[in-house]
Amino acid sequence: MSERGLHIAGLRSGVDGNDILKGIDLDVAPGSVHALMGPNGSGKSTLAFSIAGHPSYSVASGTVTLDGEELLSLAPDKRAKAGLFLSFQYPAAIPGVSVANFIRTARQALHPDDLTPSKFRALIFEQLDVLDMDAAFLSRYVNDGFSGGEKKRLEMLQLAMLAPKYAVLDETDSGLDVDALRAVGQSVNALRQSEKGKDIGFLIITHYPRILQHITADHVHIMMDGRIVKSGGPELANVIERDGYDRIREEVAASVG
Amino acid sequence: MSARPATIHGVTKISLDGLLERLGPGSIDEKARRDALARFEELPLRQSIRGGRNWKRDLGKLDLSTVATFDQAAAELDLEALSPAARRAGVTIERFSLAREHHRAAFERAFGRAVDTRDDKFASLALAFQNHGVFIDVPAGVSIEEPLVVGYEARAAALFPYTLISVGADARATVIERLAATGAAPFVCGIAELVLAERATLTYAVDQRAAQATTLVMTRRATLAEGAHLDVAAAELGGGHSVSRLRIIGAAAGASINVTALFFSDGDQHVDVETESVHAAPNTTSTTVVRSAGNGHGQGRYFGNIKILADAHGADASLRDDALLLSAGAHIDSVPALEIAANDVKAFHGATVGAISEEELFYAESRGIPRADAERMIALGFFEPAVSRFPLESLRDEIRAALERKIVSVGQGNG
Repeated sequence: MSERGLHIAGLRSGVDGNDILKGIDLDVAPGSVHALMGPNGSGKSTLAFSIAGHPSYSVASGTVTLDGEELLSLAPDKRAKAGLFLSFQYPAAIPGVSVANFIRTARQALHPDDLTPSKFRALIFEQLDVLDMDAAFLSRYVNDGFSGGEKKRLEMLQLAMLAPKYAVLDETDSGLDVDALRAVGQSVNALRQSEKGKDIGFLIITHYPRILQHITADHVHIMMDGRIVKSGGPELANVIERDGYDRIREEVAASVG
Repeated sequence: MSARPATIHGVTKISLDGLLERLGPGSIDEKARRDALARFEELPLRQSIRGGRNWKRDLGKLDLSTVATFDQAAAELDLEALSPAARRAGVTIERFSLAREHHRAAFERAFGRAVDTRDDKFASLALAFQNHGVFIDVPAGVSIEEPLVVGYEARAAALFPYTLISVGADARATVIERLAATGAAPFVCGIAELVLAERATLTYAVDQRAAQATTLVMTRRATLAEGAHLDVAAAELGGGHSVSRLRIIGAAAGASINVTALFFSDGDQHVDVETESVHAAPNTTSTTVVRSAGNGHGQGRYFGNIKILADAHGADASLRDDALLLSAGAHIDSVPALEIAANDVKAFHGATVGAISEEELFYAESRGIPRADAERMIALGFFEPAVSRFPLESLRDEIRAALERKIVSVGQGNG
């Protein structure tokens, strides 16, 4: 169907009545990788939270559909059930709940009884290998006392284990050392090359272009002040790398003026 | 009615006479019982044991004339048989009434070592009317892997249990005490007394599941000799008004103490838990972990004290107490306290009271976990640092299941 894809249209959203997003249009096709870049405060995380249904963000207007299903009227868990995954910039700690238990519970909620316990185990150990983690990771409490790198690895482990249709990675590269960044890149690339992961559409939200050295984006969008001001191919990331956001900001100002 | 000092009505010497007739000589002699009853009647009812402000339940309003009726058949004591190996090693597990007669020397070495009823109103009451109990003695050097299980069940009338555990030098044991009461059993008032010799190790866990009609007042006391190690873990999940008071004394150098308490007051339950670790000698250590939750109109109070006496150089103590409120009608007071009279010690305490965080909930929901399931998972996880300190996976699973049942009733209009 032509509806396939994560379609964001005319999305206006914010916190406490402040419009942060001022009309976002973005279409992520299955299997494609979009990078959304922008300076701090441009509204990137607001977009991620609005799509996922964070209770602090209220949508004023616009639509978000996932393979034809309208997301904005759904509770957050139903959005996940529709096929959405959000990798958090700052994942919450859930003390007392083990990584294994958390992922098993989520997997069971999203895909009831589709994996035997032994297949689940085999799959999760395989993913741990990709992420350079050992089995002890599974018995730790979710994000409790985790380093920045461990938190992002856990997000990637969940991405691989929960088999979404579309994944929004919010600043997954922030606060990562080189090794952790490489592990995150490997994980996403391994997933994209796998049979089950090849159709996942990605929206990678980032301030810095460096994650795009590990994950190749098909499309790059630049966001400023709640709007997407420029879209292009991967070469756009190189412009940001070279000139920062100022050049784009001047361009936009000139075109508006 | 005019205001007057609270008294507990209805305990008469006649009811004690009736008890003595039924129980026969037993392990507590008649004079000790009569003296204890006299103390109970004379000692003031401390405000601190009556519960929190605004509590609907108050020990001062307890009417013992209706509860202090005694019938041995109205309560059960289950003792699991000792394994042949434990029996050969000389381990004793004996009904309290026969303990003094059958194991006089061992009994008298332990009895009264940790419990002092002289200035304790409810310990005196428990001693006066003691009608069930068990004596466990693990001789020096004996290590038993199998847990010893003691089960009290009050089916009607009142239960006054006494658990006396003596662990000899270098000996090691695990004791699980289950305490149940049906809705027809209005009152449980008991004592646990734990006596650890040099380098003894005891793990003692309590799983209290009395019906919500029952009032409980439990006094638990322990004393540790040099290098002894005690793990006490108590789950106070039952009772309409449950009061438990634990005091452990690290009486000699190097004694180490782990205290774990969890409670969950839901419906209209009132739960009052006190723990105190006393560092009375050098290089004694203690850790205390408390987790509690309130739901419905449940009321809870935790008072946790760490006392480091002047001789306790090098003491190391920590106390962590967290409370989770799952409904607007629930309330928990948390009062951690430190009394330090020695220099050169380490002591830490911290307490929190709060609801489930929206950020945690959203994180779990974003993974596809429905909100109610996420709340249950997070609330259960909240208890896990306490649950994981209980012995035996089977006991931990039972406690998790009981907690889950209480959590599931969130928002279902209980209380």
